Amino acid sequence: MFNLNSLDIKNLSVEIDNKIVLKNINLTINNGEKHVLLGPNASGKSSLLYSLMGFPNYKIKSGTIFFNNTNISNLTIEQRAWLGIAAIYQNPPEISIKLSKLLSTISKKKINLSKINNLLDRDVNVGFSGGERKLSELMQVVSLNPNFVMLDEFDAGLDVENLKNLSFIANQELSNSSVLLITHRGKALKFFNPDFVHVLLDGKIICSSNNWKKIWNTIKEDGYERCKKCALSSKR
Amino acid sequence: MNDAKNVHYLQKDNDYRIIKEPGILILSSNEAYLTLPWCRKYFQKEPTEGYFIYITKTPKKTLLTNTLICSSNIVQSPTNLIIIEENISAKLYNTCASTKPNLNGKHFGQTKIIVKNNASLTLNHFQNWGKKDTVVSQTDLILNQNSEVVFNQKCSNVPKLLKMTNRNFLAENTSLNYLTHLLSNSGNIKIYDDTYLNGEKSKGISRIRLIGKKNSNIYARSRMIANTSGTGHVDCMGLLLDQNSIITAIPELINKNKEASLTHEASIGKISDEILYYLRSRGLTEDQAIDLVVNGFLGEDEKIIIDGNLVSSKEFM
Repeated sequence: MFNLNSLDIKNLSVEIDNKIVLKNINLTINNGEKHVLLGPNASGKSSLLYSLMGFPNYKIKSGTIFFNNTNISNLTIEQRAWLGIAAIYQNPPEISIKLSKLLSTISKKKINLSKINNLLDRDVNVGFSGGERKLSELMQVVSLNPNFVMLDEFDAGLDVENLKNLSFIANQELSNSSVLLITHRGKALKFFNPDFVHVLLDGKIICSSNNWKKIWNTIKEDGYERCKKCALSSKR
Repeated sequence: MNDAKNVHYLQKDNDYRIIKEPGILILSSNEAYLTLPWCRKYFQKEPTEGYFIYITKTPKKTLLTNTLICSSNIVQSPTNLIIIEENISAKLYNTCASTKPNLNGKHFGQTKIIVKNNASLTLNHFQNWGKKDTVVSQTDLILNQNSEVVFNQKCSNVPKLLKMTNRNFLAENTSLNYLTHLLSNSGNIKIYDDTYLNGEKSKGISRIRLIGKKNSNIYARSRMIANTSGTGHVDCMGLLLDQNSIITAIPELINKNKEASLTHEASIGKISDEILYYLRSRGLTEDQAIDLVVNGFLGEDEKIIIDGNLVSSKEFM
């Protein structure tokens, strides 16, 4: 069946610097669904983001990535962006370009700039606080009018109030997009209320469920090691 | 910005015309030398070309000058003198340019700027040359007590040979913010920039931003010399856009006073892959991403006047 704007990853293995960082990943995200990818540091979460975004140093060793029923495995970064794939990065680079200039260059739709008025005249990410950086990232991505958005460690470096506000904006502005939230802390889960949760360990998705609370409670109590032997693992 | 037609001093090749402005004396340097004996001490010899601007009243408008090469094989030797009287605040916009790319012109310019006590000056100097031109310029900037200068210098199209020598002399409690942006497309560039902190509490900042592409060879030496207890900072940043260009950046600090504080910074490199990937993930092609970074590096776009036409300072970049 033709499924508009779905992401379908089949048996994906990825290598960087001669090291396999993703092993045989299978993941489907349908239009409008919110997924969360949980995993400890260095489990391969951000590698999945960069692989899906098409960063050339992440080399696909096997498997395929379909987006909107098109094989995008060999597309460039910008070609994937043109299809509506976007990312909010955990550590975006500092660039000597005014945020207003960047937004005017990349925007595909008008956005409400009132939330970032104080940032517009500053160089992108230069001297931004953690919250400002996330807000800048979020508004850039919103301006791209994306179909599918990945949010890398969206809850990192944010206090609860900031996270709540940013999550509210993200939920509101990205309500028509599919979302993959990447986190190891889980602080953002209650604000995003994802449809599906996946656990990534050592480059493998070892658990997927539609009950994020159950999975997160297990991790909260016993850590990610428990996931390796957990009987709760349930395939979608 | 003034009406584009109202350039106060317009020199085309070796001819000039002047538009008067209340409270400001604008003459050719030669006329000033001949009619104002008091200003002769500022000239090494009788000048043949160039302007004299003497500001005794804070101008309501930005003062504009254009020194243009419009014909083939022209040789210009302008000697310019700008004097800002005490307690005056002024803004100048100077353009030196060739109006066509292949005129094979030669421009040997000397400019002396004297900012008297408690005066302030914002000077934007824009250069845009043809590929066959040769340009040698020397600028002396003299800041008297409690004066302030902001000097923005941009060169968007460099000639085949460009040698710029800037010397800045700072008296007590003065402040200088000197920023040079230069984009070189197959040019041979030499920049010598010296700032002398001669008065206590003088503050000097000199920043140079260089972009080299298409076999450019850029040499930039920026020196801060503290003779008294001032503070100074020099930095030089370079972006290399091709494999065959060279940028040599030499920040130099000479401190002759233990109470003075001098710092420097220099970096030269290509645009990082991380930045390019990031911008491409926002939907820009690699070329668009490079253009955007280069434009950001070159600073804010400004409107300038060349021969009566209002154009973007980045139009040719």
